[in-house]
Amino acid sequence: MFRLQGSKVLAVEMTGDAVKAKNGSMVAYDGQMAFKKLSGGGEGIRGMVTRRLTGEQMTVMEVKGHGTCWFADRASEINLVNLQGDKLYVESSNLLATDAGLRTGTTFTGVRGASQGNGLFTTTVEGHGQAAITSDGPAVVLRVSAQYPLTVDPGAYIAHQGNLRQSFQSGVTFRTLMGEGGGEAFQIRFEGDGLVYVQPSERNTIAGDL
Amino acid sequence: MSHYPGAGPVIHDPMTLPSDDNVDSYTFCVELKGSQWFLQKGKMIAYYGSMEFNGIGHGRLERLVRTSFHSPLHASDWVVAEGSGKMLLADRAFDVNSYDLDDGNLTIRSGNLLAFQPSLSLKQSIVPGFLTLIGTGKFVAASNGPVVFMEPPIRVDPQALVGWADCPSPCHHYDYGYMTGLMGGLRAMTGLGGASGEEHQFEFVGAGTVLLQSSEALMAEQPTGGVPHQAGVPGSGASTGGSQQGGAPRLPGQLGDLQRRFGL
Repeated sequence: MFRLQGSKVLAVEMTGDAVKAKNGSMVAYDGQMAFKKLSGGGEGIRGMVTRRLTGEQMTVMEVKGHGTCWFADRASEINLVNLQGDKLYVESSNLLATDAGLRTGTTFTGVRGASQGNGLFTTTVEGHGQAAITSDGPAVVLRVSAQYPLTVDPGAYIAHQGNLRQSFQSGVTFRTLMGEGGGEAFQIRFEGDGLVYVQPSERNTIAGDL
Repeated sequence: MSHYPGAGPVIHDPMTLPSDDNVDSYTFCVELKGSQWFLQKGKMIAYYGSMEFNGIGHGRLERLVRTSFHSPLHASDWVVAEGSGKMLLADRAFDVNSYDLDDGNLTIRSGNLLAFQPSLSLKQSIVPGFLTLIGTGKFVAASNGPVVFMEPPIRVDPQALVGWADCPSPCHHYDYGYMTGLMGGLRAMTGLGGASGEEHQFEFVGAGTVLLQSSEALMAEQPTGGVPHQAGVPGSGASTGGSQQGGAPRLPGQLGDLQRRFGL
């Protein structure tokens, strides 16, 4: 059971079950815990090779035991995500912990990833259970529905879930090249039905300079 | 927007997002209904609806810019958003707040200003690195930690100053006793003997309000926004005699002056 203690510490109560968490993110525990590093994100040989090839690397440990375990990562804000059979797309660097029952994998994101400087691949989390993602400042969760498509700055995007189509918009014109761009040259547009998580801060991206 | 434990995060959609108000301490939502807002580049994090972002130099905006944007040197940092929908603004997870000006004036550090309504007019303050807003309307500003409002007379740390309203421009205040004499010179030159780092303040007098942030973290200095190199323009670098070699200013009778006196 995931629970937030404050906004920057995740407490997980375990009764013999397991969670997968970012390597080294445990800050405290009580009870009996065993920590085991999972090579290749616990996705088997195939996952290991895929992650190596795609550069979407993730060092994950499996925590198993009885008691409470606390996780935190560089004092960044933590957001809980409930998954009911749907898929969460998140950058591996923003993924803090998942229920052991959730499947993780990698997927191609196309040019969006490149515009964020995160590479062309992203991590997916799938199944039934809870996941915890980190953000710089508390994330704002925005619902996308058929009549309300959403446009997001690539630097502020952290994750999305549900059945969403994303398209990449580029507003690069000759004005951008002359230094008079709109400042929001790259945008991701989400359509469909689902949730998008944005953080109140922008990573440094190529788009930030245009 | 009920938030009870175990229910997961608050989920916003265009119906529940506030109009021209804070979503949380770090995110501000602006509603555009065919209207326009000035915003600093790259501070928009997401929007619903259809919007256009155009640089200040965009020809179609010339009339707007002529009436409410009087700082050509910051023009490359600002864009105009127009269209309809709701737009979220945020800045490096700093606190954001909106302020209403009613036929007033407010001067603010240029990096802290995120957005303003075109009913306000933006001018460059005579104090380098600050902008002055004059008129009636709403603007959004970021600060590292919540903003504290103070009344003059007050001396403030330069890094904690966000801005000031309705009072005369500040002056520099140096802790004279601490900086003069042989020991003061030694301290300033070597940092030994306890330089407290608080020898220099901004001093406000008169009636008005001073805005402070509760930390000394600053926005990254923008390379743009300098003033023309002219004699008599503060901060232009065109000094009119009295060669200061950078660093803390020297007071007479200080050790560092020996060099100059002996012509070294």
